Amino acid sequence: MSEFRLTRRYHFSAGHRLSSAALSDEDNARVYGQCYRQHGHNYQVEVTVGGDVDPLTGMSVDLGIVDRAVQRALLDRVDHYDLSATVGGLEGVVTTGENLARTFWTWLEPALPPGRLRRVAVVETDNNDFEYCGEDGSSR
Amino acid sequence: MGTVYATRKFTFSAGHRYWRDEWSAEQNARVFGHLTVVHGHNYVLEVTIRGPVDPVTGMVMDLTELKRLVGDLVVARFDHADLNRDAFFASGSIPTTENLVRAIWELLAPKLGGERLHRLRLWEDPTFCVEYFGP
Repeated sequence: MSEFRLTRRYHFSAGHRLSSAALSDEDNARVYGQCYRQHGHNYQVEVTVGGDVDPLTGMSVDLGIVDRAVQRALLDRVDHYDLSATVGGLEGVVTTGENLARTFWTWLEPALPPGRLRRVAVVETDNNDFEYCGEDGSSR
Repeated sequence: MGTVYATRKFTFSAGHRYWRDEWSAEQNARVFGHLTVVHGHNYVLEVTIRGPVDPVTGMVMDLTELKRLVGDLVVARFDHADLNRDAFFASGSIPTTENLVRAIWELLAPKLGGERLHRLRLWEDPTFCVEYFGP
């Protein structure tokens, strides 16, 4: 039987800049362009969980549990912070959408009911989004 | 030629609440919280069909036919309806998004064919959706 996949959208706002410690100032400016400057985004994060439906409750995963886990494990850590400076767990991480999606996965996976996380998508702007489905995952 | 996927959106508004008659009010409140109160949603249903492209028409499926099918079978049935009173849920099954998307699959799959119906995505509100790919 194929499972149900539940996707919930969350928002946070944060500052960041793209800068790699492995590059010189000139190279950072060349590689990352305007993203090298300190700026920020209204990020959206989509969290997808999967599973079969409990016949009594009709629910696959209790959204209240998901909401509380995402709030505690992710949103409380990043909302209105500078991702490139003050966020524990992002030290040394170039805060591209790709790296954020992968990092957020490692924060959310242990906070959610075991084995239920299927996908983390970081929507940086309306024009850019980045999806990660785990080491063995395939997108959607 | 490869498979092409086509998706069309539909909307309907419906009321529901989460409640099990055999449970006490306290147990219902503990499990379902505010969802025990009658409320409603503007649902958005995305129906994705798949198949080869007809070389003559250039279409996977006539979307007008899809619109008519979903309109007759799903939208006419659930729009401005009390989901708890629908035959799918009258026996006590909770009209959660999961159970509703499965009911819609059961309505559409016999008409569209399991091969052609690929995915249903049902948005309860702009922050929450359930995807179902069939049994």
